[in-house]
Amino acid sequence: MTAVSDRSSLRESSRVQLRVLGALLIREMLTRYGRHNIGFLWLFVEPMLFTLGVTALWTATKSVHGSSLPIVAFALTGYSSVLLWRNMPGRCIGALWANLALMYHRNIKVLDIYVARLLLEFGGATISFTVLSIAFISIGWLAPPEDFLKVAAGWLLIAWFGAALAIALGALSHESELVDKLWHPASYLIFPLSGSAFMVDALPPFAQQIVLYIPMVHGVELVREGYFGSQARAHYDLSYLIPVTLALSFVALLLVNGVARRVVPE
Amino acid sequence: MIEVRDLRKLYRTRFGEKLVLDKVSFDLRKGERLGVLGRNGAGKSTMIRLVSGAERPTSGTIERHMSVSWPLAFGGAFQPILTGVDNIRFISRIYSQDFASNLAFVEDFAELGPYLREPVRTYSSGMRARLAFAISMIIEFDCFLIDEIGAVGDARFHDRCNYELFEKRADRAMIIISHDAGYIRDHCNRWSVLDDGRLELHDQFDAAYTAYKEVIGASLSTAKPVVSHVSRAMMIESSQRAALADDRFRIHVQQGDWARDSKDWATAEQEYAAALALYPYQRTYWTQHGHVTKEQGKFARAEISYRTAAALGVPEDEVEEFIRFVASRQHEEDAAHRVHGFRPGPTGSHPPGKPDLETFARVLWLAAEVDELEQRDLLRTHATCDGLGAAMIADRRFDAAHAPAHRRNGNVEAGSLDSDLIERIFCFFAADLGGPDQAKPTEELGSADDLVRLLLARETLTEWPLTARALQEWAAKRPGGPLHSLHELQALA
Repeated sequence: MTAVSDRSSLRESSRVQLRVLGALLIREMLTRYGRHNIGFLWLFVEPMLFTLGVTALWTATKSVHGSSLPIVAFALTGYSSVLLWRNMPGRCIGALWANLALMYHRNIKVLDIYVARLLLEFGGATISFTVLSIAFISIGWLAPPEDFLKVAAGWLLIAWFGAALAIALGALSHESELVDKLWHPASYLIFPLSGSAFMVDALPPFAQQIVLYIPMVHGVELVREGYFGSQARAHYDLSYLIPVTLALSFVALLLVNGVARRVVPE
Repeated sequence: MIEVRDLRKLYRTRFGEKLVLDKVSFDLRKGERLGVLGRNGAGKSTMIRLVSGAERPTSGTIERHMSVSWPLAFGGAFQPILTGVDNIRFISRIYSQDFASNLAFVEDFAELGPYLREPVRTYSSGMRARLAFAISMIIEFDCFLIDEIGAVGDARFHDRCNYELFEKRADRAMIIISHDAGYIRDHCNRWSVLDDGRLELHDQFDAAYTAYKEVIGASLSTAKPVVSHVSRAMMIESSQRAALADDRFRIHVQQGDWARDSKDWATAEQEYAAALALYPYQRTYWTQHGHVTKEQGKFARAEISYRTAAALGVPEDEVEEFIRFVASRQHEEDAAHRVHGFRPGPTGSHPPGKPDLETFARVLWLAAEVDELEQRDLLRTHATCDGLGAAMIADRRFDAAHAPAHRRNGNVEAGSLDSDLIERIFCFFAADLGGPDQAKPTEELGSADDLVRLLLARETLTEWPLTARALQEWAAKRPGGPLHSLHELQALA
């Protein structure tokens, strides 16, 4: 049977990999959202509810964020990006334990399981961000982005960083339960520092220096520059963010490779 | 062909590294079916997972020049939240197969009806097994890896599985692991024994089986499955599983079964007896033992075995007919001797079986053996262990064994008890002696005399009223009896 043959060219392999990813995606959606009530619409309704809630809260409390930006715009760009980098690791930690039975199938690799979950998470957050943006723009709460490409670039960079972090933590969590225990407090503590609740420009210079060591901050600033242009006075440095993310990705793949070498199917 | 070369697998555990496979090499061609025998935990499943590619070896290579299945077992590889249909759809996608025809096949084979559209977690284990097997048959691999597939399901399902695997797919390669050596003998054409990380290949089943038995024999001292001795009821309960988890027990009953199937009743009896010597409270094989002794015309012995089976919990109507038959063959037409089946309750109220009788005989009569006809009569007469104990104490052989004169002859040795026996006695009298878990006075219980004194020291026994009374009556008739002094009595109490 050539369909399941072991000897295959690179093209054949990538075809298999894509097929596996597709199957995993659908399976993830079914297990996570099921077929009841609104089903897989939860994929983006859930992050939308989060973002709406936070937007409402921040508006109600008139949060100080140190810029002249409208609070709705500020909350949307800020909280949506939090959802990206925070939920991705959340979904990948322990993902392998939950899917050990799948490891019986030779074509399914450890990385596939993470990538399927990341694609889903990325899709959900992106749809939520887009839908809310369009909704706010159409009712006039938000001006259309000044530079769409910058928004997209910033968004993708945050996603890339989140994915690399998620895969690294996911792989580590297979070796130690501590990762799961520590990630929750860590993500709470990083949240206020991640640039979603403030503009870097509003901080005193020494604080700016420290905060700019946190990679997500650069991405969020880039998204905001794309949205609000010069109004935002963004601070970011792609020559810092990209090498850091690249290095993290490399580490993540090494860790996954190590886990794949040792994983024992259920 | 599959070429396996110098396979080595180390597992990291908290206690350091564990070498599971070492220098495992073999080739497997189309049409070859390799059976793997080995102890529990010898690494058989690990080897299959490595060959399937689900797990990676520490070193060594596996070249697959044909498509190899995932390890087929009756359990896993499902997402329990998903329905059967969703699971089929997933597997079809992964292996790029036509979903519609797969669904049709599974519907037909697994016979799950509307359940196929329910989440797998609502299935019974039998239903899961049927689904798992059906799903593994939808993809036509060149080589099937089969891990313990003979273990679950009813006979009809078994037959259909065997038909799918060994008739329709007779030209494929297979690696088969099973605890059922008979299954491996009948379905493989190459055999191997996995022990201590090494795989030894054989062309003949007998050679492989001999090697396997040696391996089991050599492992005699290691990891004996635990029988609980908290109480007699617990001991019976835990013996059922522990016996079947013990390779030595399984080998004996396996050989017993083979001998029985070829009508070699004497060998079968021998093997079953050897198995039951390891686990005297394993009830089902007492029935088998009864059958093969009955076939040899040893009706009294068969009756003892059947009665023991019933006493240990085999349903009465399963053995009643046989007991009536063997009784009639002993020219005792009246079937008035009723069957004493197991009832939960205080230990003394349990019906006695052969192992109980033998325990009592050794402790109360210092007798290693009891005449077979007498055994039969005792088991017929006494509906409870308590009644049996009391009767054996009232017997003159008890007096002869435990009278002071006897002991002063220095014949203590005859009454000395081994640790198995002590353990059993403690679980008989757990309610009064505190059970084996509390610091047991094993040193004090060096001999049968010690036990008698220990029991006498209590005036009553919670779960053994008749036995306690018989003991006290005996002591009263023998002033100065076995209790040397009051001090000793108090010390023991």
